[in-house]
Amino acid sequence: MSNYIERFSTRQRVLHWIVTASFFTLVLSGVGLFSRLFNGYFNFFGGGQNAILIHKIAGPIFFLSSAYMYLDHRAEISSFDSNDMEWFRKAGGYLSREPHHFHIGRYNPGQKMFALFIAVATLVLGITGLFIWVPTAFPRWIVQISLMLHGLMFVGSIMFMVLHVYLATIGNPGTVQGMLYGDVRKDWARHHHPRWYRERTGGK
Amino acid sequence: MADTINRSGRKGFLVDTSKCIGCRSCQVACKQWNKLEADKTANMGSTENPRDLTPALYNRIRFIEKESSGQTVWQFLNQRCMHCGDAGCIKVCPSPGALYRTKEGSVVFNKEKCIACKYCVSACPFNIPRYDSNDKVAKCHLCYDRIAAGMSPACAKACPTQALQFGNRNDLIAKATAAKKKLYGVDDLLGLGVVYALEGPPEQYGLPAKPEIPTSIFLWKDVIKPLGILGFWGSIGAVLLHYVTVGPQRTEETEDKGGSHE
Repeated sequence: MSNYIERFSTRQRVLHWIVTASFFTLVLSGVGLFSRLFNGYFNFFGGGQNAILIHKIAGPIFFLSSAYMYLDHRAEISSFDSNDMEWFRKAGGYLSREPHHFHIGRYNPGQKMFALFIAVATLVLGITGLFIWVPTAFPRWIVQISLMLHGLMFVGSIMFMVLHVYLATIGNPGTVQGMLYGDVRKDWARHHHPRWYRERTGGK
Repeated sequence: MADTINRSGRKGFLVDTSKCIGCRSCQVACKQWNKLEADKTANMGSTENPRDLTPALYNRIRFIEKESSGQTVWQFLNQRCMHCGDAGCIKVCPSPGALYRTKEGSVVFNKEKCIACKYCVSACPFNIPRYDSNDKVAKCHLCYDRIAAGMSPACAKACPTQALQFGNRNDLIAKATAAKKKLYGVDDLLGLGVVYALEGPPEQYGLPAKPEIPTSIFLWKDVIKPLGILGFWGSIGAVLLHYVTVGPQRTEETEDKGGSHE
């Protein structure tokens, strides 16, 4: 009997890495626009004007793939139950080495919050990005607010991203495999997502 | 970071609206010196022409018509880049050298370094910058080439009534204050490079009573940016700290097998 269980389908994995690639392209091409302090990042693209062009190409790719990812997971990430509240109260067990048991389904509430934040950020970044794209076509106040919100959502996204990368790699060994090969070890699934594991295996 | 300006050596305009006769010599002289093409305009039923600044019109006369004891009275305002002491356009410009301050305190641009982001359009308290057909910034640059050669700007040179006076900013303000003029822009935004002597409230001339960098631009540059940089490095520090204190969440088998993938 296999020691592994499928966590993400091929379609979900490819989608995730399209989102990832476009996200980091956007970060690298956009950070120089966020502040002059990061002007050096324009060099990756051969100057600011090219960076803007790449930003405008990667933007719609990120928007569409991220929006699709949200729709794909909508049902699993938008409801919170009492087990989730318990998880929140104990900060997911991340603040101590004590053993803990949460009856978590496919996603824990931290992951749900992350997914919901990215969904909101995608929407806000997409809409404000449109105004910033052709600023002279819109009233100045709309563009001014858009520039602020675009920066705010960028800051929020990049901070969540640090957390996401940490928790999905070295913070929880055995996790990233699910997004690479698609399957995770059964003991990992029993430990982190017991309710999902039971649903998938039908009992043991 | 507000750009710093040399206040004692700062040069600027004093625009005395009481002396302006609306002849628009300044408009024409500017176009001539800066080799700006003519704009097609339309008759809008007003003597004001053109109705707005364009990429090929760095300064213009705004005509304000008002009724005064049964008579129509005209007021004229020379509209242009104000060369703010705290310039919103320089604050947001992501391309070093595209918008910068000269040693005389003027805010000038270099089209070759402009990357067409148009952030300056949104950040200007006076809605001045325009973009040309090549998507490059255009606005009054206070004839920095003439100033560098010891001449006065083309507009001031052409003004027949001395409504447009150019010179040491402090001297111009001192003279106007002594003449008991009502001044606009002496202290706003660390002092405007264009100070007006007005004959009525600023709003009457289409000027904001209290000009400032738009709030959302201020929040972006002075709040979100520093806190964001702090937050980014803070979150990296926090996860590393977590790793060496609480440590990763291991399942029993990871401890046994060292997390290897079979």
